[in-house]
Amino acid sequence: MDNYSEISALLEKLCGAKGVSGAESDAAAVAAQLLGRYMPVSVDALGSVTGTKGEGGVHILLDAHLDQIGLVVTAIDEDGFLKVAKCGGADIRVLAAAEVTVHGRQKLFGVITSTPPHLSTPEDSGKAKGFDDIAVDIGMDKATAEKYVSLGDRITFNGEFLRLAGSRVSSPSIDDRAGVAAILRCLEILGDKELGCRLSVCFSVQEETGGSGAQTAAFAAHADEAIAVDVSFASAPNVSSEKYAALGGGAMIGFAPSLDYEMSRRLKDIADNKNIPNQCEVMGGKTGTNCDEIQVAGEGVKTALISIPLRNMHTAVEVCDLEDIESTARLMAEYITERSGADA
Amino acid sequence: MLEMIKELCTLPGISGRECAVREYIIEKIKDYAEYSVDPLGNLLVFKKGRNPAKNKVMLDAHMDEVGLIITAITSEGYLRFAKVGGIDTRVIIGRPVRVGDKSVSGVIGIKPVHLVEKSAEADIPKADDLYIDIGAKNREEAEALVRLGDAAWFAGDFVEFGNGFIKSKALDDRAGCAILIEMIKSELEYDAWFSFSVQEEIGTRGAQTAAFTLAPDYAIVVETTTAADISGVKDEKRVCLCGKGGVVSFMDRSTLYSRELFDKAFEIAEKNGIACQPKTLVSGGNDAGAIHKSRGGVKVLTVSVPCRYLHSPSCVIKYSDVEESLKLIKAMAEELAK
Repeated sequence: MDNYSEISALLEKLCGAKGVSGAESDAAAVAAQLLGRYMPVSVDALGSVTGTKGEGGVHILLDAHLDQIGLVVTAIDEDGFLKVAKCGGADIRVLAAAEVTVHGRQKLFGVITSTPPHLSTPEDSGKAKGFDDIAVDIGMDKATAEKYVSLGDRITFNGEFLRLAGSRVSSPSIDDRAGVAAILRCLEILGDKELGCRLSVCFSVQEETGGSGAQTAAFAAHADEAIAVDVSFASAPNVSSEKYAALGGGAMIGFAPSLDYEMSRRLKDIADNKNIPNQCEVMGGKTGTNCDEIQVAGEGVKTALISIPLRNMHTAVEVCDLEDIESTARLMAEYITERSGADA
Repeated sequence: MLEMIKELCTLPGISGRECAVREYIIEKIKDYAEYSVDPLGNLLVFKKGRNPAKNKVMLDAHMDEVGLIITAITSEGYLRFAKVGGIDTRVIIGRPVRVGDKSVSGVIGIKPVHLVEKSAEADIPKADDLYIDIGAKNREEAEALVRLGDAAWFAGDFVEFGNGFIKSKALDDRAGCAILIEMIKSELEYDAWFSFSVQEEIGTRGAQTAAFTLAPDYAIVVETTTAADISGVKDEKRVCLCGKGGVVSFMDRSTLYSRELFDKAFEIAEKNGIACQPKTLVSGGNDAGAIHKSRGGVKVLTVSVPCRYLHSPSCVIKYSDVEESLKLIKAMAEELAK
């Protein structure tokens, strides 16, 4: 046991559940069970997990997306290899010989084909193959493959949940299970005390394919304010530390024209006053997160964004710092506490 | 034998760091044969048969696997590395590794695709620009866990999947090691000499000295070789096919094989109903390249298990090919000894 064992176990459980965009039910089941400890839970028409508690005052919605990037089966070729397309923004540079799970009638192990050196020219050895030139090898002939796999089945990238040095961890789908974990941890910090406001939570589907889940869940929630928690870029070699966040540097508070300036400022002031590690993430327009959909849901929602710094986004070795999840959770809890009793 | 392949593949053993593999093999064979370890680390084994051999036959499999070696630690705590053996940069990006004596977990990261210009989305970074991230915040933290010169190897589990396939790192050439261990543990018709060789992947260093020491008349190299029987590749470009038995080479980049032995392998296979196939492309090289030039020259044969995604963290073979290869190798060793 160390200082991070609880939050690490929570994130590991969330990352262990799979849910590529549009097929989030496994991840949703785990998230619903965890959220159910804090509030009554339901699942909406698109599959988003939602819950609400508290009465009166301002109505705050917390959102994190449930889905993860992956692949989708588009064909089974004559030798039983699966042809695939992206489902969400998969990075073609990490596909060669990657290990995957095909979520067919049962879970099947597979390896993405990689071209051996004798068939590569010097020119294309520095280039990743596109989806036309790769396939998933499940070690089956066509007839057997057809018994287990249907077109449209989703594929996830395999990867273990690794504890790295200190409070850092690596896993696939930390984007955005870290956000889900931060919201659950925030609810844990808030505990059973009377809130003096209405608090809703949405673990939304289909963020990676355009935010349909958040758009519909935000409409249904009809909140006064929303905070979306997602991941954003942490600096790394070739990822400038001037432009991007420090891993372990704290919650990234978003400032952007599309975000509610007052909310952003309030989050920043609270973080500074309460000594919660934080850093600003400033964007020049929209945010590329669920905020963009939530903001314009219904008659419109004041929206803020808190991001958790992440390295290697959309690979099977995403890296985050558990301290940043904790900072994000504390910041939201303090925000909700401060807004308790405020008028809608 | 499957369990043994699993255990062998799980052991770390990049070129020059084959110690764990060698110790494992010694444990397995010490009750069945005499052995010694030469100055480079080759494990040389003599197995007594029912009869003395008329010709001295050497059976070789290499213990080392491709991997990485830590060359520098940056002030931010990242590890720089060099490749050990021929690795396509494309298969290591975004993969987990283990580093050094403490088996520290790390990952090979990449700049998020969101931050890459559209026209460069398929560009693979140069290996020199890659790094291992072990989560250290600075050089001091990293140095407490890792030393320069430490080995790094691919993380990942051993998986059985599909119609009799297995996936692991290091199947090249732990599959070959398992075949030879199995032979040593069995009753042999004739005396036989074995070399579990070091440093094949950086240029067949071990096999050169092992062959000198053993001074064989014939050698059989037991290997894995590239199988390109994958989606989008046709006919002879596939090189060999998983499920069609051991692969016999007539020529590769380091050896022109003995025609006599090549023909005999197919003759023996046919006579005994053993599946085997020719390698349909001149590519690659292996310990045969060093062995055939040893002393006054040695007639060599290579029998390989077809392996998809060779030299990646996710090598794939079909187990039945290991069994068929063992049969052919055993029969050929007998044939050449008598």
